[in-house]
Amino acid sequence: MAALIYRPEYAGYDFGPEHPFTPARLAMLLDLLQSLGGPVSPIAAPAATREEILSIHDEAYVATVEALDRGEARPEADQFGLGTPDNPIFPGMDRAARWLVGGTLHGARLLMAASERRVLQLGGGLHHAQRGRAEGFCLYNDLAVAIQALVDHGYRVAYLDIDLHHGDGVQNLFYDNERVLTLSFHESGHYLYPGTGHIQELGGGTARGLSVNVPLEPFTGAEDYLEAFEAVVPRALDWFSPHVLVVQAGADAHFDDPLGDLALTTQTFQTLYRRILELADTHTQGRVLFTLGGGYEAQVVARVWALLYLTVMELPVPQKLPPDWLERWRTVLGPAVGQNLHDSEQTFPELGGREARTRRNRDVVARLLDSLCPLWF
Amino acid sequence: MLVKDIMRSPVTVIPTGTTLGEAFGLFQSRGIRHLPVVDQGRLVGVLTDRDLRATTSNLSGTPHTAGDPVSTAMTSPVLTADPLDPVEDAARIMRAHKIGCLPVMDGAELVGILTGMDILDALILLTGVTKPSSRLEVALADQPGELARLTAFLASRNINIHSILTCPGPGPGGALRTVLRVDSNQGRPLAEALRAVDFEILWPPPKPWPN
Ligand SMILES: [Zn+2]
Repeated sequence: MAALIYRPEYAGYDFGPEHPFTPARLAMLLDLLQSLGGPVSPIAAPAATREEILSIHDEAYVATVEALDRGEARPEADQFGLGTPDNPIFPGMDRAARWLVGGTLHGARLLMAASERRVLQLGGGLHHAQRGRAEGFCLYNDLAVAIQALVDHGYRVAYLDIDLHHGDGVQNLFYDNERVLTLSFHESGHYLYPGTGHIQELGGGTARGLSVNVPLEPFTGAEDYLEAFEAVVPRALDWFSPHVLVVQAGADAHFDDPLGDLALTTQTFQTLYRRILELADTHTQGRVLFTLGGGYEAQVVARVWALLYLTVMELPVPQKLPPDWLERWRTVLGPAVGQNLHDSEQTFPELGGREARTRRNRDVVARLLDSLCPLWF
Repeated sequence: MLVKDIMRSPVTVIPTGTTLGEAFGLFQSRGIRHLPVVDQGRLVGVLTDRDLRATTSNLSGTPHTAGDPVSTAMTSPVLTADPLDPVEDAARIMRAHKIGCLPVMDGAELVGILTGMDILDALILLTGVTKPSSRLEVALADQPGELARLTAFLASRNINIHSILTCPGPGPGGALRTVLRVDSNQGRPLAEALRAVDFEILWPPPKPWPN
């Protein structure tokens, strides 16, 4: 029914204890899934090969990552975005990144072989990585490698990115590709990294109309988000009629995330996941590949991605968090976690300036659709 | 950033005897809007697409025709720039005179051309907006050492600054608005850390809910 991809080696993608993109999130999540939904036996996918990485990335860049992986000094590393506070160098980094790419690529292969319709890769989603450069915690672009394989198989691919941040790496890599539709919902780049994802970025050449960006105002909540989603996504899929949907399901658009200012709740995420599965049923015969992505508050990502898992697997959603799990991860989770899987309705305050925000979000969607409609129909 | 760093070179020029029809052809085929006009290698004017439209329009009393020489329609004399002029000086001259280009002269030799589009490119480059980055806006007290304190803080965290711009805030003695683009996905944590050491951060704003 649905395949889960994961292996303990994913924990090797570790930029160190000070870094927000910590693998502790994954171990904690897997433990929660086991406590909530019964035994989990994920598929352990092989690491992506060097050749598979080179389907997307430049040789000079990959060779540099490999050298750093072996502990060699490379003074030119910073030219490749490596050795920065966002992308620190660590031994084994090439191998660690290839495990993640391998998992996402394996997910794509399961869909191509028709052995699965739904796949959840419990890792990856490194959407900022560029052809010749590490960016924003992302070394290799697992999503792009998987999308390229799906395109080579003859598929038209719709990529949907619900991470807090603009999916700039994936967008850039397929900007001129008429077989790939990219849809990114994100907090506007007025001050948030990476600063792109404007409505005017529409795709190049014959792929004009195939890059779609919905930048939302800081502090945008569920209502505006879901309204924008409904105004854009069903139409886009209807027009493009993809064979498969690839979803970067970052959890950093949650209101408690320390890196951003979107204000989604666990309830919003569950609504989104259900809707995405529905859209896959309608438009891609159910074929959908989910990856994880950003998400930097431990107690939030555990709950949000547990909901993703339960929704994708069509398992019941319990109200309470397992007490033994809470106990085991108490120090990582911190005091804010509470007792329940969902956010309590009281934790999220009503924000001022809501009408102005809603008006600006609606304007953005209207202007985007004004640009797209002549290209689509 | 100097004029020579962002000017277009080599530059397409036309002799004074060129017809308006030929100039129109060049505008179309090369996708340009300004043509320096030379007489025996000496710059004597600039023909802009605006000059061409205005003088050939049926709406003008006596429209020029395709066979007329460009010397009858060009703007002359011409303001020029030196390759070593700072870009902002060139921008100020273009703005003050409401002109769309400056031919760039090295002595008597025409070595390039600077257009409004090149000035926009310079602005984009100066703001660092072409690289993935977070944007911070800081109000700095207008006194010595404040900018150094800010950059020292970022340096201590090994944060690379793509660009840094300042502009005066409202009122005399007001704070300097300083806009930084930093090579990091961690703009908000950085803003919080700066607030903790008493910088006034305008963007990103504090989260309106307890964290
Ligand atoms: Zn993100």
